[in-house]
Amino acid sequence: MLILVVDDQPLNCRLLTAMLEQQHYDVLVANNGQEALTLLHQHEVDIVLLDVMMPVMNGFETAPKIKEYAGDVYLPIIFITALEDHASFEKCLRVGGDDFIHKPFDRIILSAKIRAHARTRKLSKEANEQKKLLEYHYNQTEREHEIVEHIFRNALSGQEKFDSLCDFHLSPASMFNGDMFLMAKSPIGGFYCLLGDFTGHGLAAAVGALPASRIFYTMVQKGMAVGDIATELNSSLYTLLPGHMFCAAAIIELSSSGKNISAWLGGLPDVYLVNEQGRVLKTVESQHMALGILDDDEFERTILHFEVDKGTRLVMATDGIIESEGPDGEMFGEGRFIDTLQSTPAITTQEVIDKVRNYAQHAEQQDDLSIAIINCLPAELEHSGETHYSSLPFEVNVSLDAEQMKVTDPVLEVVNVLSNVEGVDAHRSNIFLLLSEAYNNSLDHGVLGISSELKNQEDGFLEYYTQRADALSKLTEATIEIAASYSPEKRSVTFDIKDSGRGFSQPELPSDSTLSNEHGRGVQLLSEIADSVSYNRIGNEVKLVYSLD
Amino acid sequence: MSLSKNASADGKTLTIQIKGKFDFNLVQSFRQAYAEVNDETEKVVVDLRDTDYMDSSALGMLLNMKKTLGDSVGSIQISNCRPQLKKILQISRFDKKFEID
Repeated sequence: MLILVVDDQPLNCRLLTAMLEQQHYDVLVANNGQEALTLLHQHEVDIVLLDVMMPVMNGFETAPKIKEYAGDVYLPIIFITALEDHASFEKCLRVGGDDFIHKPFDRIILSAKIRAHARTRKLSKEANEQKKLLEYHYNQTEREHEIVEHIFRNALSGQEKFDSLCDFHLSPASMFNGDMFLMAKSPIGGFYCLLGDFTGHGLAAAVGALPASRIFYTMVQKGMAVGDIATELNSSLYTLLPGHMFCAAAIIELSSSGKNISAWLGGLPDVYLVNEQGRVLKTVESQHMALGILDDDEFERTILHFEVDKGTRLVMATDGIIESEGPDGEMFGEGRFIDTLQSTPAITTQEVIDKVRNYAQHAEQQDDLSIAIINCLPAELEHSGETHYSSLPFEVNVSLDAEQMKVTDPVLEVVNVLSNVEGVDAHRSNIFLLLSEAYNNSLDHGVLGISSELKNQEDGFLEYYTQRADALSKLTEATIEIAASYSPEKRSVTFDIKDSGRGFSQPELPSDSTLSNEHGRGVQLLSEIADSVSYNRIGNEVKLVYSLD
Repeated sequence: MSLSKNASADGKTLTIQIKGKFDFNLVQSFRQAYAEVNDETEKVVVDLRDTDYMDSSALGMLLNMKKTLGDSVGSIQISNCRPQLKKILQISRFDKKFEID
């Protein structure tokens, strides 16, 4: 405890110093206010004993400067005074004095006053330390908020807008509360979205949002089914999140025709299918536990299917909406939510949010209101960019003997090789079909001599493939030659498939009876997909030309 | 190439999903998949979202399923076809017997 004695009278200074040192206090002495301020800056002084009448700078001038220097921490000033009038006392207090000690000094009183003020000083210092710590944590939290917002923004960035298909509202505050909304389109035009509500707030929730959004986008890009996406998300969140954290979610896929919905629903409030007027057609309850709770073995991937008409809307929301409290503490609830939906035809999410806010206006704004409305419409056709074609001529030649026919299925391998030629990949399904039909014709009819009439008989389909497997296993000598070539000039792929069989008569194109006839379908497909199909005279070689344009 | 099947949560829809190549190699497993149809099943969905390739043997298998199931299910839907596969189904007039989505 360091005490600063400020007095221009050497006798007073010596007396006070002696008394204080006797009580084991450290003492500094200044002869006027100016000196006192200099010492204050150099040492951490705990209490100031301040004389009033001094040269250079008197006590009344010095006190406010000391208080200003001390700032938020209590630095007691005890005036040393011989003055007895009330006006002087009052002036001492006004300029910042905390107490008085009268001359001549009373040792007991001085000691008591010093102890009392020292205690207050100590408390004040502690409070100030805590305040600093609080400020530090507050700033830390503010920073975390910023980080969370940043993470959420970026996790959701690059998200395309699908204004005609989907209208959603997600306030920044609800992101911080762990709500997220993701949407994307698959390559075949299906529209996917995910509304998720993480337990826990802020950083903790953001940690889960990151992998969840990545998994969602990646799997939608591959056109995976909703059940698969849910399974993968669950597995990832189960591993990643601490036990008390999980993510209630609704994962929806609208087929490219806009007529079918697949949904995995876990832990969110009811989802509604409403008509254009907003009347509820179907209420769908959550089927499952939220994501991230069950391990892979327990997790249920089952989904729900609905057929929907054009213009049907699917409404989903996190619990923020129905749990918003009104004037008397009553929640907004499902009833009011349903009423709101049919209050305006084709209501927007903003209109819903406005009504909820209006209802809960008096209440402290919680603002974690998240809602999405999906319009069941067919996907708009997307124009793919210019296709590039390789300018090099490619050829693939494969000659198979009997053993190779038994163990390999060459069609896909040849298709895979051809798909590597720039410009061909987009056609691989068609190329597979052509090659598959041609190769299997050569193998089944040319080499193995099985009649496709078999397929017309009762249960002949399976019988056909049983016979085929049987004949193939007994095959000893045969060849099938496959020659495939890509022509950059004609932008076409030509196949030549020749077998060692005796040939068969050129198949006639069946009439439009393909649905009832079990064979001949392949031949018809060949002629429709290929630009030209030609057989040699004896029927053991077929040439197909397929245009890439 | 693989086949998976799933009943929906309400048991009304059976989904058969085919990955990769849909051809005669799946004859047995495809038959087994729709053998699970029961009284509760209202709809069978053949989900081709992951199917890259199909040939005429796949068409035959689909027709066989239609014959076997007859009217025991409300509808058979072939869903999520890629454009080239959709065209194959259209050329073969499958839209007359199946719901193609």
